[in-house]
Amino acid sequence: MLTQIDPRSPTPLYDQIAARIRVAIAAGELEPGQPLPSVRRLAGRLRINPATVVQAYRVLESEGFVEMRQGAGTFVREVENQRRSQERNAEAARLVRAMLTEAARLGLATDDLVTAFKHEVGASDR
Amino acid sequence: MSNVIETRNLRYRAGRNFEIRELSLNVPAGSIYGFLGPNGSGKTTTIALLMGQLRASQGSITVLGQSMPQAAPRILARTGFVPERPHLYPTLTVEEVLRYHASFYQSWDWRRADELFGRFELDRSLKLSALSKGETGKLMMLLALAQNPDLLVLDEPTDGLDPVVRRAMIIAVLDYVSQRDAAVFISSHLVHELERICDWVGVMDNGKLVAEMPMQTFKSGIKRLRVTGAPALVEDPPFVLLSRDTGETLGAGEVWVVRGWQTPMQQYFEGIGASLREVVDLDLEEGFVELLRTFRAPRAQA
Repeated sequence: MLTQIDPRSPTPLYDQIAARIRVAIAAGELEPGQPLPSVRRLAGRLRINPATVVQAYRVLESEGFVEMRQGAGTFVREVENQRRSQERNAEAARLVRAMLTEAARLGLATDDLVTAFKHEVGASDR
Repeated sequence: MSNVIETRNLRYRAGRNFEIRELSLNVPAGSIYGFLGPNGSGKTTTIALLMGQLRASQGSITVLGQSMPQAAPRILARTGFVPERPHLYPTLTVEEVLRYHASFYQSWDWRRADELFGRFELDRSLKLSALSKGETGKLMMLLALAQNPDLLVLDEPTDGLDPVVRRAMIIAVLDYVSQRDAAVFISSHLVHELERICDWVGVMDNGKLVAEMPMQTFKSGIKRLRVTGAPALVEDPPFVLLSRDTGETLGAGEVWVVRGWQTPMQQYFEGIGASLREVVDLDLEEGFVELLRTFRAPRAQA
Protein backbone atom coordinates (compact mmCIF):
# COMPACT_ATOMS: atom_id res chain seq x y z
CA MET A 1 0.00 0.00 0.00
CA LEU A 2 1.05 3.60 -0.54
CA THR A 3 4.09 2.98 -2.64
CA GLN A 4 2.93 4.93 -5.62
CA ILE A 5 1.08 8.10 -6.28
CA ASP A 6 0.65 10.01 -9.50
CA PRO A 7 1.75 13.63 -9.24
CA ARG A 8 0.58 14.26 -12.79
CA SER A 9 -2.98 13.24 -12.08
CA PRO A 10 -5.54 16.02 -11.67
CA THR A 11 -6.70 14.31 -8.47
CA PRO A 12 -4.94 16.18 -5.67
CA LEU A 13 -2.17 14.18 -4.00
CA TYR A 14 -3.84 14.30 -0.57
CA ASP A 15 -6.98 12.85 -2.16
CA GLN A 16 -5.02 10.03 -3.74
CA ILE A 17 -3.38 9.15 -0.44
CA ALA A 18 -6.65 9.33 1.51
CA ALA A 19 -8.37 7.12 -1.09
CA ARG A 20 -5.64 4.47 -0.90
CA ILE A 21 -5.84 4.29 2.87
CA ARG A 22 -9.63 4.29 2.86
CA VAL A 23 -9.68 1.30 0.53
CA ALA A 24 -6.98 -0.47 2.54
CA ILE A 25 -9.13 -0.08 5.65
CA ALA A 26 -12.28 -1.19 3.81
CA ALA A 27 -10.52 -4.24 2.42
CA GLY A 28 -9.09 -5.18 5.81
CA GLU A 29 -5.52 -4.66 4.67
CA LEU A 30 -5.19 -2.16 7.48
CA GLU A 31 -6.68 -3.31 10.79
CA PRO A 32 -8.13 -1.36 13.68
CA GLY A 33 -5.45 -0.05 16.01
CA GLN A 34 -2.75 -0.30 13.39
CA PRO A 35 -0.60 2.83 13.06
CA LEU A 36 -0.28 4.68 9.75
CA PRO A 37 3.27 5.67 8.74
CA SER A 38 4.46 8.86 10.41
CA VAL A 39 4.05 12.06 8.39
CA ARG A 40 7.80 12.40 8.13
CA ARG A 41 8.30 8.86 6.88
CA LEU A 42 5.50 8.88 4.36
CA ALA A 43 6.50 12.31 3.00
CA GLY A 44 10.07 11.07 2.58
CA ARG A 45 9.02 7.80 1.01
CA LEU A 46 6.66 9.40 -1.51
CA ARG A 47 8.83 12.51 -1.90
CA ILE A 48 5.95 14.86 -1.27
CA ASN A 49 5.25 17.84 0.93
CA PRO A 50 4.65 16.75 4.57
CA ALA A 51 1.67 19.14 4.63
CA THR A 52 0.04 16.98 1.96
CA VAL A 53 0.31 13.90 4.17
CA VAL A 54 -1.15 15.81 7.12
CA GLN A 55 -4.01 16.96 4.90
CA ALA A 56 -4.76 13.36 3.86
CA TYR A 57 -4.73 12.15 7.46
CA ARG A 58 -7.05 15.00 8.51
CA VAL A 59 -9.56 14.05 5.81
CA LEU A 60 -9.53 10.44 7.00
CA GLU A 61 -9.91 11.58 10.58
CA SER A 62 -12.94 13.74 9.75
CA GLU A 63 -14.50 10.74 8.01
CA GLY A 64 -13.93 8.57 11.07
CA PHE A 65 -11.45 6.15 9.52
CA VAL A 66 -8.45 7.10 11.62
CA GLU A 67 -7.63 8.83 14.85
CA MET A 68 -4.77 11.29 15.24
CA ARG A 69 -3.29 11.14 18.72
CA GLN A 70 -1.12 14.06 19.66
CA GLY A 71 2.50 13.03 19.77
CA ALA A 72 1.72 9.34 19.28
CA GLY A 73 0.73 9.14 15.65
CA THR A 74 -2.26 8.24 13.53
CA PHE A 75 -4.16 4.98 14.07
CA VAL A 76 -6.81 3.05 12.19
CA ARG A 77 -10.20 3.11 13.89
CA GLU A 78 -12.79 0.39 14.15
CA VAL A 79 -15.08 0.81 11.12
CA GLU A 80 -18.50 -0.85 10.81
CA ASN A 81 -18.75 -3.69 8.33
CA GLN A 82 -21.55 -1.96 6.45
CA ARG A 83 -19.45 1.14 5.94
CA ARG A 84 -16.49 -0.93 4.83
CA SER A 85 -18.55 -2.74 2.24
CA GLN A 86 -19.91 0.61 1.01
CA GLU A 87 -16.34 1.80 0.51
CA ARG A 88 -15.39 -1.36 -1.34
CA ASN A 89 -18.41 -0.98 -3.63
CA ALA A 90 -17.58 2.65 -4.28
CA GLU A 91 -14.01 1.76 -5.19
CA ALA A 92 -15.17 -1.03 -7.49
CA ALA A 93 -17.56 1.41 -9.19
CA ARG A 94 -14.70 3.88 -9.66
CA LEU A 95 -12.58 1.22 -11.34
CA VAL A 96 -15.40 0.26 -13.68
CA ARG A 97 -16.12 3.87 -14.57
CA ALA A 98 -12.46 4.44 -15.39
CA MET A 99 -12.51 1.34 -17.57
CA LEU A 100 -15.65 2.47 -19.39
CA THR A 101 -14.19 5.92 -20.05
CA GLU A 102 -11.00 4.43 -21.41
CA ALA A 103 -12.92 1.97 -23.58
CA ALA A 104 -15.06 4.78 -25.01
CA ARG A 105 -11.94 6.76 -25.78
CA LEU A 106 -10.52 3.79 -27.68
CA GLY A 107 -13.83 3.19 -29.47
CA LEU A 108 -14.52 -0.22 -27.86
CA ALA A 109 -18.15 -1.29 -27.45
CA THR A 110 -19.48 -2.04 -23.99
CA ASP A 111 -20.34 -5.56 -25.14
CA ASP A 112 -16.70 -6.21 -25.99
CA LEU A 113 -15.82 -5.20 -22.46
CA VAL A 114 -18.47 -7.40 -20.89
CA THR A 115 -17.29 -10.39 -22.93
CA ALA A 116 -13.67 -9.76 -22.00
CA PHE A 117 -14.59 -9.29 -18.37
CA LYS A 118 -16.48 -12.60 -18.20
CA HIS A 119 -13.64 -14.35 -19.94
CA GLU A 120 -11.00 -12.94 -17.58
CA VAL A 121 -13.02 -13.64 -14.47
CA GLY A 122 -13.60 -17.19 -15.69
CA ALA A 123 -9.91 -17.56 -16.40
CA SER A 124 -8.90 -16.46 -12.96
CA ASP A 125 -11.48 -18.79 -11.35
CA ARG A 126 -10.11 -21.84 -13.01
CA MET B 1 2.87 37.09 9.81
CA SER B 2 1.30 35.39 6.84
CA ASN B 3 4.06 35.76 4.24
CA VAL B 4 7.69 34.83 4.73
CA ILE B 5 8.69 36.67 1.58
CA GLU B 6 6.88 39.67 0.22
CA THR B 7 8.00 42.04 -2.50
CA ARG B 8 6.14 45.06 -3.81
CA ASN B 9 6.72 46.52 -7.25
CA LEU B 10 10.35 45.55 -7.45
CA ARG B 11 12.36 46.92 -10.28
CA TYR B 12 15.91 46.09 -11.21
CA ARG B 13 17.71 46.71 -14.44
CA ALA B 14 20.26 44.01 -15.12
CA GLY B 15 21.41 45.16 -18.51
CA ARG B 16 20.29 46.95 -21.59
CA ASN B 17 17.97 44.18 -22.62
CA PHE B 18 16.76 42.77 -19.36
CA GLU B 19 14.96 44.07 -16.34
CA ILE B 20 12.88 42.81 -13.46
CA ARG B 21 9.77 44.92 -13.28
CA GLU B 22 6.62 45.31 -11.18
CA LEU B 23 7.57 42.21 -9.27
CA SER B 24 5.21 41.51 -6.37
CA LEU B 25 5.82 38.10 -4.81
CA ASN B 26 3.95 36.55 -1.90
CA VAL B 27 5.40 33.44 -0.32
CA PRO B 28 3.05 32.15 2.41
CA ALA B 29 4.45 30.97 5.74
CA GLY B 30 4.89 27.22 5.90
CA SER B 31 4.65 26.77 2.16
CA ILE B 32 6.96 25.04 -0.27
CA TYR B 33 6.95 27.58 -3.05
CA GLY B 34 8.13 26.58 -6.52
CA PHE B 35 9.64 29.46 -8.47
CA LEU B 36 9.39 28.41 -12.09
CA GLY B 37 10.55 29.98 -15.29
CA PRO B 38 12.66 29.27 -18.33
CA ASN B 39 16.39 29.97 -18.29
CA GLY B 40 17.00 33.70 -18.34
CA SER B 41 13.55 34.65 -17.05
CA GLY B 42 14.98 36.41 -13.98
CA LYS B 43 14.75 33.75 -11.26
CA THR B 44 18.34 34.01 -10.10
CA THR B 45 18.32 37.83 -10.28
CA THR B 46 15.16 37.88 -8.17
CA ILE B 47 16.75 35.58 -5.60
CA ALA B 48 19.87 37.77 -5.49
CA LEU B 49 17.55 40.73 -4.72
CA LEU B 50 15.74 38.75 -2.01
CA MET B 51 19.06 37.75 -0.41
CA GLY B 52 20.41 41.31 -0.46
CA GLN B 53 23.11 40.62 -3.02
CA LEU B 54 21.65 43.13 -5.46
CA ARG B 55 19.87 46.41 -4.75
CA ALA B 56 16.50 47.06 -6.37
CA SER B 57 16.08 50.48 -7.94
CA GLN B 58 12.44 50.57 -6.87
CA GLY B 59 10.03 48.74 -4.59
CA SER B 60 10.29 46.96 -1.26
CA ILE B 61 11.33 43.52 0.00
CA THR B 62 10.27 41.93 3.27
CA VAL B 63 11.77 38.62 4.31
CA LEU B 64 10.79 36.91 7.58
CA GLY B 65 9.01 40.10 8.60
CA GLN B 66 12.02 42.38 8.15
CA SER B 67 13.17 44.72 5.42
CA MET B 68 15.83 43.71 2.97
CA PRO B 69 18.53 45.00 2.61
CA GLN B 70 18.35 47.07 5.84
CA ALA B 71 17.98 44.01 8.07
CA ALA B 72 20.14 41.72 5.94
CA PRO B 73 22.28 40.26 8.77
CA ARG B 74 19.25 39.36 10.87
CA ILE B 75 17.41 37.88 7.91
CA LEU B 76 20.36 35.90 6.63
CA ALA B 77 21.03 34.46 10.09
CA ARG B 78 17.66 32.72 9.82
CA THR B 79 17.81 31.84 6.13
CA GLY B 80 19.48 28.81 4.60
CA PHE B 81 20.57 29.82 1.13
CA VAL B 82 21.82 27.48 -1.57
CA PRO B 83 22.96 29.70 -4.45
CA GLU B 84 23.10 28.59 -8.04
CA ARG B 85 26.89 28.79 -8.04
CA PRO B 86 28.52 27.69 -4.80
CA HIS B 87 31.01 30.16 -3.35
CA LEU B 88 33.27 27.90 -1.32
CA TYR B 89 37.02 27.98 -0.78
CA PRO B 90 38.55 25.21 -2.89
CA THR B 91 41.61 24.77 -0.68
CA LEU B 92 39.69 24.03 2.51
CA THR B 93 38.58 20.54 3.49
CA VAL B 94 34.93 19.68 4.00
CA GLU B 95 35.47 19.63 7.77
CA GLU B 96 37.13 23.08 7.71
CA VAL B 97 34.32 24.58 5.65
CA LEU B 98 31.84 23.22 8.14
CA ARG B 99 33.62 24.74 11.14
CA TYR B 100 34.07 28.02 9.31
CA HIS B 101 30.42 28.15 8.31
CA ALA B 102 29.17 27.06 11.75
CA SER B 103 30.94 29.97 13.42
CA PHE B 104 28.63 32.43 11.65
CA TYR B 105 25.36 30.92 12.84
CA GLN B 106 24.08 30.95 16.39
CA SER B 107 21.43 28.45 15.45
CA TRP B 108 23.93 25.97 13.98
CA ASP B 109 23.00 22.37 14.81
CA TRP B 110 25.94 19.92 14.88
CA ARG B 111 23.66 16.97 15.43
CA ARG B 112 21.80 17.70 12.22
CA ALA B 113 25.10 18.26 10.41
CA ASP B 114 26.37 14.85 11.56
CA GLU B 115 23.13 13.18 10.60
CA LEU B 116 23.27 14.71 7.12
CA PHE B 117 26.90 13.67 6.75
CA GLY B 118 25.88 10.07 7.14
CA ARG B 119 22.90 10.42 4.89
CA PHE B 120 24.82 12.17 2.11
CA GLU B 121 27.90 9.93 2.51
CA LEU B 122 30.36 12.80 2.39
CA ASP B 123 34.02 12.47 3.29
CA ARG B 124 35.05 15.17 5.77
CA SER B 125 38.75 15.02 4.96
CA LEU B 126 38.43 15.80 1.26
CA LYS B 127 39.47 19.15 -0.13
CA LEU B 128 36.64 21.02 -1.80
CA SER B 129 38.52 21.08 -5.08
CA ALA B 130 38.34 17.26 -5.04
CA LEU B 131 34.56 17.09 -4.68
CA SER B 132 32.34 16.07 -7.54
CA LYS B 133 29.49 18.29 -8.62
CA GLY B 134 27.02 16.09 -6.77
CA GLU B 135 29.09 16.13 -3.58
CA THR B 136 29.39 19.93 -3.74
CA GLY B 137 25.62 20.16 -4.11
CA LYS B 138 25.07 17.92 -1.11
CA LEU B 139 27.57 19.90 0.96
CA MET B 140 25.77 23.17 0.11
CA MET B 141 22.46 21.63 1.16
CA LEU B 142 24.03 20.31 4.37
CA LEU B 143 25.36 23.78 5.23
CA ALA B 144 21.95 25.34 4.63
CA LEU B 145 20.02 22.76 6.70
CA ALA B 146 22.49 22.54 9.60
CA GLN B 147 22.05 26.22 10.35
CA ASN B 148 18.48 25.38 11.38
CA PRO B 149 16.84 28.01 9.18
CA ASP B 150 13.28 29.36 9.31
CA LEU B 151 13.44 29.83 5.57
CA LEU B 152 15.26 27.87 2.89
CA VAL B 153 16.04 29.62 -0.37
CA LEU B 154 17.23 27.16 -2.98
CA ASP B 155 18.32 28.41 -6.39
CA GLU B 156 18.27 25.52 -8.87
CA PRO B 157 19.71 23.29 -6.15
CA THR B 158 19.64 20.13 -8.23
CA ASP B 159 20.48 21.54 -11.65
CA GLY B 160 22.90 19.30 -13.51
CA LEU B 161 22.98 16.64 -10.79
CA ASP B 162 22.23 12.98 -11.29
CA PRO B 163 18.85 11.58 -10.20
CA VAL B 164 20.22 9.76 -7.15
CA VAL B 165 21.75 12.94 -5.73
CA ARG B 166 18.67 14.99 -6.65
CA ARG B 167 16.44 12.58 -4.82
CA ALA B 168 18.66 12.56 -1.71
CA MET B 169 18.63 16.36 -1.60
CA ILE B 170 14.87 16.66 -2.02
CA ILE B 171 14.24 14.06 0.67
CA ALA B 172 16.57 15.92 3.04
CA VAL B 173 14.55 19.11 2.50
CA LEU B 174 11.22 17.31 3.03
CA ASP B 175 12.57 15.65 6.13
CA TYR B 176 13.62 19.01 7.48
CA VAL B 177 10.25 20.69 6.95
CA SER B 178 8.39 17.76 8.46
CA GLN B 179 10.34 18.24 11.68
CA ARG B 180 10.34 21.97 11.76
CA ASP B 181 7.92 24.63 10.69
CA ALA B 182 9.94 26.27 7.92
CA ALA B 183 9.13 27.66 4.49
CA VAL B 184 10.97 26.70 1.33
CA PHE B 185 11.46 28.90 -1.72
CA ILE B 186 12.85 26.76 -4.51
CA SER B 187 13.60 27.82 -8.05
CA SER B 188 13.89 25.35 -10.86
CA HIS B 189 13.25 24.82 -14.49
CA LEU B 190 12.80 21.11 -13.75
CA VAL B 191 9.05 21.29 -13.53
CA HIS B 192 8.45 17.65 -12.70
CA GLU B 193 10.63 17.81 -9.67
CA LEU B 194 8.53 20.57 -8.17
CA GLU B 195 5.20 19.05 -9.12
CA ARG B 196 5.06 16.65 -6.20
CA ILE B 197 6.49 18.80 -3.45
CA CYS B 198 5.27 22.36 -3.93
CA ASP B 199 2.00 23.75 -2.67
CA TRP B 200 2.48 27.17 -4.28
CA VAL B 201 3.88 28.19 -7.65
CA GLY B 202 5.11 31.43 -9.07
CA VAL B 203 5.98 31.60 -12.76
CA MET B 204 8.49 34.08 -14.16
CA ASP B 205 8.91 35.01 -17.76
CA ASN B 206 11.09 37.74 -19.16
CA GLY B 207 11.51 39.55 -15.85
CA LYS B 208 7.86 39.47 -14.89
CA LEU B 209 5.81 37.29 -12.59
CA VAL B 210 3.13 35.95 -14.91
CA ALA B 211 1.28 33.74 -12.42
CA GLU B 212 1.25 33.05 -8.70
CA MET B 213 -1.24 30.66 -7.15
CA PRO B 214 -1.70 27.46 -5.13
CA MET B 215 -0.35 24.48 -7.04
CA GLN B 216 -3.74 22.79 -7.06
CA THR B 217 -5.40 25.80 -8.66
CA PHE B 218 -2.68 26.01 -11.24
CA LYS B 219 -2.97 22.33 -12.12
CA SER B 220 -6.72 21.93 -12.04
CA GLY B 221 -7.84 24.88 -14.12
CA ILE B 222 -5.88 24.29 -17.31
CA LYS B 223 -7.37 21.77 -19.74
CA ARG B 224 -7.05 20.71 -23.32
CA LEU B 225 -10.43 20.31 -25.01
CA ARG B 226 -11.31 18.59 -28.23
CA VAL B 227 -14.16 20.45 -29.88
CA THR B 228 -16.04 19.85 -33.11
CA GLY B 229 -18.39 22.13 -35.00
CA ALA B 230 -17.39 25.35 -33.31
CA PRO B 231 -17.95 28.60 -35.21
CA ALA B 232 -14.85 30.50 -36.28
CA LEU B 233 -15.65 33.32 -33.90
CA VAL B 234 -16.70 32.59 -30.35
CA GLU B 235 -17.99 35.22 -28.01
CA ASP B 236 -17.65 35.47 -24.27
CA PRO B 237 -16.68 31.97 -23.29
CA PRO B 238 -16.98 31.37 -19.51
CA PHE B 239 -13.31 30.28 -19.43
CA VAL B 240 -10.11 31.86 -20.72
CA LEU B 241 -9.35 30.56 -24.18
CA LEU B 242 -5.57 30.27 -24.26
CA SER B 243 -5.16 28.79 -27.68
CA ARG B 244 -7.14 27.23 -30.47
CA ASP B 245 -5.66 24.94 -33.11
CA THR B 246 -7.42 23.28 -36.00
CA GLY B 247 -6.51 19.62 -35.93
CA GLU B 248 -4.27 17.94 -38.48
CA THR B 249 -6.75 15.21 -39.30
CA LEU B 250 -10.07 16.09 -40.83
CA GLY B 251 -13.05 15.50 -38.56
CA ALA B 252 -10.97 15.17 -35.44
CA GLY B 253 -12.03 18.67 -34.47
CA GLU B 254 -10.06 21.47 -32.93
CA VAL B 255 -7.86 21.54 -29.89
CA TRP B 256 -8.58 24.29 -27.41
CA VAL B 257 -6.44 25.01 -24.40
CA VAL B 258 -8.40 26.79 -21.70
CA ARG B 259 -7.84 28.16 -18.24
CA GLY B 260 -10.39 28.38 -15.44
CA TRP B 261 -12.22 25.28 -16.58
CA GLN B 262 -15.12 23.82 -14.55
CA THR B 263 -17.28 20.85 -15.50
CA PRO B 264 -20.61 22.74 -15.82
CA MET B 265 -19.06 24.78 -18.63
CA GLN B 266 -19.75 21.86 -20.96
CA GLN B 267 -23.16 23.45 -21.55
CA TYR B 268 -21.50 26.39 -23.21
CA PHE B 269 -20.69 24.26 -26.25
CA GLU B 270 -24.31 23.32 -26.88
CA GLY B 271 -25.12 27.01 -26.78
CA ILE B 272 -22.75 27.75 -29.66
CA GLY B 273 -23.80 24.69 -31.64
CA ALA B 274 -20.57 22.82 -31.08
CA SER B 275 -19.82 19.62 -29.27
CA LEU B 276 -17.20 18.87 -26.71
CA ARG B 277 -15.58 15.51 -27.43
CA GLU B 278 -12.90 15.28 -24.81
CA VAL B 279 -11.45 17.07 -21.81
CA VAL B 280 -7.81 16.27 -21.09
CA ASP B 281 -6.03 17.31 -17.92
CA LEU B 282 -2.69 19.00 -18.40
CA ASP B 283 0.07 18.32 -15.93
CA LEU B 284 2.22 21.05 -14.47
CA GLU B 285 4.75 21.01 -17.29
CA GLU B 286 2.15 21.23 -20.04
CA GLY B 287 0.26 23.89 -18.13
CA PHE B 288 3.48 25.82 -17.69
CA VAL B 289 4.33 25.64 -21.38
CA GLU B 290 0.81 26.73 -22.39
CA LEU B 291 0.89 29.59 -19.93
CA LEU B 292 4.15 30.93 -21.31
CA ARG B 293 2.97 30.46 -24.87
CA THR B 294 -0.11 32.59 -24.35
CA PHE B 295 1.71 35.12 -22.29
CA ARG B 296 4.13 35.64 -25.15
CA ALA B 297 1.53 35.52 -27.91
CA PRO B 298 0.58 38.82 -29.49
CA ARG B 299 -2.43 40.48 -27.87
CA ALA B 300 -4.42 40.18 -31.11
CA GLN B 301 -5.24 36.61 -30.25
CA ALA B 302 -7.07 37.43 -27.03
